[in-house]
Parts: sequence; structure tokens; C-alpha cells
Amino acid sequence: MSRKLLETDGQEWVQQGIITEAQREQLLALYPTDTAAIGLLPLLGSLLVGLSALSVVAANWQGLPELVRLGLLLGALCGAYAGGEYFRRRGNDNLGMGLLALGLILFGASIVLTSQLYQLIGYDLTGLLAWAVAGMGLTWLYRSRLLFLMTAVISGIVQGYNTGQLGAFSYLTAAGTALGLGYYWWRRPDALLGGVLATGLLWQAALLISHLHVKITWFFIPAMLVYAFGDWQPDRPAGRALQGPPLVAAFLFTLGLALFGESDFYAGQLRAPLLPYLAALGGVLALSVVGKQRRGRLGSLTDWLLLLPGFYFTGGLALAVATLVVLYAYSGAVLLRAHQEQNQDRVTLGTVLFILTTAVAYFKLTWGFMDKSVFFLLGGLLLLGLSWWLRRRAARTFSASSSTKP
Amino acid sequence: MRWLVLAQVLFVLGVAVAGYATAALGRTVVLRTRPVDPRDLLYGDYVNLRYHVSELPGSLWRGPAMPRRHDAAYVLLEPQPDGTYEAAGLFPDKPAVTGRQAVLRASVQDVWRRGIRLRYGLERYYVPEGMGRKLEQRQSLRVQVSIAPWGQARITKVDMSPE
Repeated sequence: MSRKLLETDGQEWVQQGIITEAQREQLLALYPTDTAAIGLLPLLGSLLVGLSALSVVAANWQGLPELVRLGLLLGALCGAYAGGEYFRRRGNDNLGMGLLALGLILFGASIVLTSQLYQLIGYDLTGLLAWAVAGMGLTWLYRSRLLFLMTAVISGIVQGYNTGQLGAFSYLTAAGTALGLGYYWWRRPDALLGGVLATGLLWQAALLISHLHVKITWFFIPAMLVYAFGDWQPDRPAGRALQGPPLVAAFLFTLGLALFGESDFYAGQLRAPLLPYLAALGGVLALSVVGKQRRGRLGSLTDWLLLLPGFYFTGGLALAVATLVVLYAYSGAVLLRAHQEQNQDRVTLGTVLFILTTAVAYFKLTWGFMDKSVFFLLGGLLLLGLSWWLRRRAARTFSASSSTKP
Repeated sequence: MRWLVLAQVLFVLGVAVAGYATAALGRTVVLRTRPVDPRDLLYGDYVNLRYHVSELPGSLWRGPAMPRRHDAAYVLLEPQPDGTYEAAGLFPDKPAVTGRQAVLRASVQDVWRRGIRLRYGLERYYVPEGMGRKLEQRQSLRVQVSIAPWGQARITKVDMSPE
């Protein structure tokens, strides 16, 4: 309970006779006011001084002798790290971490600016790779979420620069991100970091696919590998968070397939060589199933519905309809499971997905009516039926939980 | 922690030392750039440079089979009467040099029937503010490049060519 709630509502509780005035004071004493470790004004003041120094340096950067520039960069780098360590030792973790993060940014800036200073632009990316490695080291050293987040972003930038500017994919960077950050997340599961890690890895996977010029469906092999990794994670919320981005990608892809899959031209663009693709996908599926079974989550197997490779189907319209069926099955399964788990957030998510699917189905309907009007009706009926069933179930759970009370 | 910071400082210093050493110990060659589309030339705080030696005829290739994209290639440079250097040969491995010849490492960007496009890592020149506009007005530039004995190269100076 927060002290703020006690302060605002406490008087009312006393008046209603829930607690006595003495008890209210005892409760308040349990939650002492946070003593700000550093005053806001000195912090703001030093920030302004720092900014002015930065602007002076930036304005005269080109005119400064090379050695002075180098000294400034290294001095700022060391200063940020030393300051971060100092504040952390004094127990001011937020400011300390902020300064360490600044140090990491300054390291990257130093590499770039020093290379520019000496007109060194090689075709390798050793410099930028060193930046990602430094971030990884700091993350492991300080066990910090902020540094983890920055390292994921930096690795994404390094990979983006490498494929965009240098025209090569750095497998080292990708493997480093997956192993270094993946293992960190495995040991210290965290929902936010799971989402960030998955997004970072999907970004690199997408860069790899575009670099290799292969069919974009290959993207789902690494993406679902990330998903399967989430299945093995003992911490359920963290695992779910890691699986979020791959599922979002798969859902959007399937949604697109429902919209445009009718044209065989688009579907043809997606057809990776059948056997290797199915073998790879099957391998990842097996990995995922075993993980789900070990952790007792076989119910989430419906997620794989989105990965049904319907694009091999040359049916045209039939493909679009089949995809819609899959989408309805998936969003219906999400809703059903959310309700079984009594999870309000997931009920909302399932409803949104269901409505999205229905919207796509409606869009198709306005195009080439009759065939899919039946289908739309089915979706609507299903939605109505489901909502009726959900409401009834919710009402029953509510009455059950209230009847257990004396 | 101390080691991690020290490693970072040493890394940045290493980049600087490599820059100094390349200029101090390297051989200096002057390369000519091709006329560049003015819109492409100025790009933020650097200019994009295209050299005469950035695109070479396939007949200069001295290897068993034509190179492929992203392969390494070594360009043998020979001085011309006007003081600039032009390519005399293109090798898959570092060739031996005689006299005033020099070798520049490149990576193959593109190969087609008659030519090979190369990238040297010297295609960007970071300019002081406002200088870019002046460079842009010139059609062709002379770029002074230092090549270190260990193969690293950097631009040390950019001159305006006599028109």
C-alpha cells in the first residue's frame, strides 16, 4: 500500500469506523516518506551546466586541435563511468545507472567521432561491434535492465548499419545478441526485457532475410525459434512477453494473407522451397511442443495455428477463406483460454483480435460478396454466441465467488 | 568494471593511434575522383567520393576466375606523369610491388561483363562545416591517401584538381 493512499483516504476510514485514529497513525508510521537521495534543484543545475558545456564543445568542435578533441571524448567517457560507479556506491542507483548508460553512449560516440577525425572508414565494423560488446559486458556486470535495453538497441543499430551501409550481414553480432542477451534473460526472466529482446532479434532476422534475398516466409523460422525459446522459460509471464513479438508478426502476416492471398501472384512470392521450409518449421514446432509439454502449457499450442503454411495452396479464393478460418480459430482460442484463465487483459486482447479478423472478413465481403457473406455471418454469429457464453460464464463465476462468502 | 572502462579507453586510443600511424608511416598516393553528380556529392557532413579506380575494366583482373561480390581484391597502383596514381592490375592476393608502385585493398561490389566496381572504404570524406559546398562546385578532385605498411588506408588531404 502506498503512503499516498493512506494519507488521502485514511481520514475517511477513521470516520467510517474501519480503523481508529491511532491505527491510522501506526499505519502511516509503517510507510515513511521517501527521502530524496539527491535534491532536484542541484540535479537540474548540474544538468544545465553540463548542457552548456556540451553546446560550447559542439559549436567549436571543428576548430579544436585533434588531441584536445580526443582528450575531451575520453575524459567525458571516464567521467561518466566514474560518476556512475560513485553514485551507485552511495546507494543512488537510478542516477548511477543513468551515468553508466551515458558512458556507454559516449563510448559509441567516441568510436564514431574518432574514426571521422582520422578519416578512417574501413569496410569492417570492428568499431561498432566493440560498442555492442561493451554494452553486453556492462549489462552482465551491473545486471541492469536499462543497460540490457540499450545493448539490444545498439546491436540492432550495428546490424542495421552493417547490412545497410556495408552490404554484409554480421552473423557474429546476431549470435552475440541471441546468446549474450538471451542467456541473461534466461537467468533473470523479465517481461519487459523479453519483449525488447524478441523485438531486437526479429529486427535482425528481418535484416538477414532481406540481405539474403530469400522468400520472406523464411523469417518465421528464426522468429518461431525465439517463440520456442519462450516456451522453455520456467517464468510464465516473461516467456509470454518474449513470445509476443513473434506472434504479432505471425498474426499480421496471416491477416495480410487473408487480405491479399487471393491473388496467386502474392502467394507465389511467399512460397519457399516446400520440403526445406516445412522441415525447418516442423523442427521448430517440435522444439516448441516439447517445451510446452515440459512446462505444462500445451494449451497454448493454438498459437501455432498462425503458422499454417496456407500460401502453398494455389486455390486463390479458397486460400483467403481458409486463412480467415484460421484467424477466427486463433482469436477464438485466445478468447477461450483467456476466459479459462480468468485473465482480463487477455480477454481484451482476444476481443481485439476477433474484431480485427471480423473487420478483415468484412473487407473481403465488400469485395466479392456472396461467397463470403455466409462466412461473415458465421463470424458474427460466433462473436455473438461467444459474447453470450462469456457473459453467462462471467455471471456464473461471479455468483459462485460471492456465494462462497459468508 | 575498471578493466571494462580501461578496455574502452584503449580501444578509442587504438583507433586514434591507427589513424596517426597510417598517416605517419604510410605511403602517400594521390587518386583522382570521377565527376560526381552534385546532388549525391554532399551528404550531411561528409562528401561521397567516386574514384577513377572505383570502376575498373575486367581486363585488369589477374586471377584465375572472375571475382564475386564481397570478395577481397588488391589494386596495384602506378604513378602517372601528372602525379596521380592509376590502376595497373587487380589481384586476388596481395601482389609484390616495385619502385613507386603501391597496393590498395578493396572489396568487390559488383561484377559485370566488362567491369568491376570496387569499394575502398575511402568513399567518404568528413569535411568541416561549409567546406562541402566548395568541394561540390568542383568537377574532379585530387585525394591524397596514405597507405600503411599493414594495408590500412586513410584520406589525408583533398585538393581541387586543376580544371
